[in-house]
Amino acid sequence: MSHEHARRRFRGEIAWTGMVVGLCAAVALASAGAGTTRPMPVGADDRAAPAVSAAWLLSQPAVNIVPAERANPGSTDDKFTARVRSMEKRAALRAYEGAPPVIPHSVGELKYQTCRACHAQGLRAGEQVARMASHTHLTNCTQCHVAAAGMFLGHDAGPANSFVGLRASGYGSTRAWAGAPPVMPHTTFMRTNCVSCHGEHGYDGWKPDHLDRTNCVQCHAPAASLDQLSPVFGEDLLRVFTSPRP
Amino acid sequence: MLTVDRRTFVKSAAMAAATAAAAGTARSFALPVLEGSGLRWEKAPCRFCGTGCHVMVATENGRVVAIQGDQKADVNKGLLCVKGYHVGAILYGEDRLTTPMLRRDGRLAPISWEEAIGIIADKIAENPKGFALYGSGQWTIGEGCIGNKFMKAGLGSNHIDGNPRLCMSSAVTGFLSTFGVDEPPGCYDDLDRCDVAIMWGNNMAEMHPVLFSRLVDRRTRGQKVTIIDLTTRRTRTSEFADHVLFFKPHGDLAIANGIAHLLIRNGTFDRAFVEQHCNFRQLGPASEDGSAPAMLGVPMTFDEYAKAVEPYTPEKVEELSGVPADKIRMLGEMFGRRDVRINSLWCMGMNQHTRGTAINCLVHGIHLLSGHIGTPGNAATSLTGQPSACGTVREVGTLCHLLPGGRVVTNAEHRREAEELWNVPEGRIGATPGYHTVEMFKRFNTPTAEGGDITTMWVQVTNPGQTLPNLHRNFRVKKDLADKFLIVSDVYPTATTELADLVLPSAMWVEKNGMYGNSERRTQQWFKMVEPPGEARDDAWQMIAVSRRLFDMGHEGMKGRDGRWIYHTTDKAGREVPIWEWDRYYDVNVDERMFEEYRPFTRLKHKDLAPYQEYVKARGLRWPVVQQTDGSWRETRWRFSGFDDPYVGKGKDYQFYHSVTKDDKALIWFRPHEFPPEMPDAEYPFWLCTGRVLEHWHTGTMTRRIPQLHRAMPKAYVEVHADDAARLGVRNGEVVTVKSRRGEIDLPVWIGGRGDPKPGEVFVPFFDEGRLINLVTLDEYDPYSRQPDYKKCAVAIVRKA
Repeated sequence: MSHEHARRRFRGEIAWTGMVVGLCAAVALASAGAGTTRPMPVGADDRAAPAVSAAWLLSQPAVNIVPAERANPGSTDDKFTARVRSMEKRAALRAYEGAPPVIPHSVGELKYQTCRACHAQGLRAGEQVARMASHTHLTNCTQCHVAAAGMFLGHDAGPANSFVGLRASGYGSTRAWAGAPPVMPHTTFMRTNCVSCHGEHGYDGWKPDHLDRTNCVQCHAPAASLDQLSPVFGEDLLRVFTSPRP
Repeated sequence: MLTVDRRTFVKSAAMAAATAAAAGTARSFALPVLEGSGLRWEKAPCRFCGTGCHVMVATENGRVVAIQGDQKADVNKGLLCVKGYHVGAILYGEDRLTTPMLRRDGRLAPISWEEAIGIIADKIAENPKGFALYGSGQWTIGEGCIGNKFMKAGLGSNHIDGNPRLCMSSAVTGFLSTFGVDEPPGCYDDLDRCDVAIMWGNNMAEMHPVLFSRLVDRRTRGQKVTIIDLTTRRTRTSEFADHVLFFKPHGDLAIANGIAHLLIRNGTFDRAFVEQHCNFRQLGPASEDGSAPAMLGVPMTFDEYAKAVEPYTPEKVEELSGVPADKIRMLGEMFGRRDVRINSLWCMGMNQHTRGTAINCLVHGIHLLSGHIGTPGNAATSLTGQPSACGTVREVGTLCHLLPGGRVVTNAEHRREAEELWNVPEGRIGATPGYHTVEMFKRFNTPTAEGGDITTMWVQVTNPGQTLPNLHRNFRVKKDLADKFLIVSDVYPTATTELADLVLPSAMWVEKNGMYGNSERRTQQWFKMVEPPGEARDDAWQMIAVSRRLFDMGHEGMKGRDGRWIYHTTDKAGREVPIWEWDRYYDVNVDERMFEEYRPFTRLKHKDLAPYQEYVKARGLRWPVVQQTDGSWRETRWRFSGFDDPYVGKGKDYQFYHSVTKDDKALIWFRPHEFPPEMPDAEYPFWLCTGRVLEHWHTGTMTRRIPQLHRAMPKAYVEVHADDAARLGVRNGEVVTVKSRRGEIDLPVWIGGRGDPKPGEVFVPFFDEGRLINLVTLDEYDPYSRQPDYKKCAVAIVRKA
């Protein structure tokens, strides 16, 4: 039962079909210490605070699930449907949640600067969106991101592989209570540039209604239960590992 | 479609909350967060290259489902390359080997493990001296310990070698010639501290991308790192370089000598360092029988050295190497400065070289001469291609002339110590080195009656059917020789299993316990996380089972001094555990047992390892790992440097304490420039260079089964310069024949592709088993390291009719 249904398994194919919505919303978004989930009144989503008592609001756990009734597949302006679609879009280019996406277009084999032409600031051309890099300190782009298909050489069906990657449903919220700013539902490692996904050229359903505000972490805290393990890519780590000779 | 049953919904939410609360137990980490209640995160070193990144592996319901870079790992600090991010999928190619198979009437047919083990034991018992074991830098340390003991202590035979012979043995002979002991004095921390990084024929952006990022990402943090790319072809590394200096194939020796020349002529060498810490060396005259002069050479004075490098003026070097004289002066000036920290880095370009030992020595030499060594950021560092080429092969000593811990079979005292530590009777270990890789395969591919005295070979965790040079001669002859028997343990069908008589299905990576040792002396450990498919079993168990069968058959070699089996293993209560029975194999941790047996070997050359349990806690530790007075274990980052290495005498800045000359001094070698054994001519007018690409790891048996990697780089090609293509009249994508004196293959032409060779040179990657470039390559090798040169031979490009 449960999350098994919610996860679309990735059978080594680029095309990721099917909707994830529905049976589960179990992205483990809970902030630390989340307790049991209580039944919630219809309408207790994170779009509009329901007309309920303040006491009930405060009693709500961190995982604040959107009722399915509100996710309307026919409506393109439905934020929740958009989120799920965005999740699918992401998943189509990834072997599993957390894998670096493959590149859905041809790439210059030698010129790494060509990536930056579009992905340094991000741009939109018709339906195509080049998202801004979410980790701007890394410059050897092709180290992690490879073409979805080697364009010049052509490609065949490829070897059969039954690896099944982990999936995120993209369905849920991390607000402490309705109206509270959501905690980040994902690691911040390699995702230091919020506007990459949440900015002007970001994903549908993930864009805030306050793009004018730029200091994101002022209100949106990294989730303590995630991977804030150690300072990385800094001199700090070097100092940590340097012990004087006895 | 978008309906949901509210009860499921609420339940899921509760589960999600519970998951978050449960995260953070001893062996799991709360990494990104996703659905899934049974998710378990554990550490492991990456399966691929010698960088030694740590990955966090997520398993659920007995399967690997996700991978993350390990942020606690000092090597990669959370970052991976595209291979590393997809490493989990290597377990799930649908053609995994799952049952032992024996060739009958030309076809491989399933047999039982019982039969398979019996066949191997019988073959060995028939002709123990005609049996050879060919291992791998992908063997875990435990597997290497078992294989080495099996051959040298069990069969009393030194016919065990490994694929690192093809990969980094010239680095070994370079370190031995210079410092008297193997492996780099520096470590990856030098990448964080250097001002200048010099790539000696090293496409680091593709081959060691995580380390390359460690270097270039310093630029985005506002630091200045100058990258000098000494190369024969434009690569992705060149794109990041401040100076791209193209040299003619084999021109690297002239460049190094040119730098030495300038240091001496300008008086900018580090006189104090050289006087205190260095001696000079050159090769003696060739022997009368025409064999190469002894590797450790003869002494020379500073004046003789200065005279030897005198002819290498910038102009002369330009003539020999093709690098402009003013760029040679720039390099000479750079090495002459004390305020610039220089890190030289190399890999196959310098090692797969008929003069590999020589160029390795020369690069160490210019670092010593200029004092650019032993302080953070100043280092000459060889990078390895396999995850445990250092740990399993160089340290455990699974080559035909080595014993564990830096010992050699030709030294009587070393043999005695090894017999003592292995607890086998004195005189058991042979004093003559066995056959090195090329020789071993030549003998196996020669009819027994004509001197081909290797009749049975067991290949584990490697794919010589694709990687040996000149495959027609060195691998494929066997096909028509009836009295040769090839046993192959592997995880997928390969170019090697194609000719195998017996195929054994192996467990891989996190399907077994293991330890690896990376390029910077770092020893790493992981635990088994998932079950191998079908009847696949650990390579270590396979050797143990054969050994036990031989023991039961009464083979004397499989008995120790006390008459017990050489792998006698007990549980905590002291009762013997029958580890030769597969269903009892994991009753104890055989890896730990073998590692603890091996540890005392590591003291002799001050490559001290900590107890197994220390590695369980760490993300690897760099040897020597020395216990402190408080009981803790401390790793060493800069060997031979007084500020860090506990084995350097108190008050000394540097001490090369395994010095060849026994006076704590390192050797600065002179080696002249010479021309390679085969050069382009009218008939074969192009230089052929072979190598790797980012997406595939070596022969591609694992990475070509990962859809994301396979699609990105689906097949091999030949890179041709646009001018040559125009002259030949070939277009981009056109299939041509690449032909040498040894063989030919058809490949599509790629002009302006992944790399861009100079006119007169072509490049072909070796990952594609459907297009074996090693049918074409030359099997000439360095006389000291016995490592073949895959980077230079003469070929013709022929248009298809």
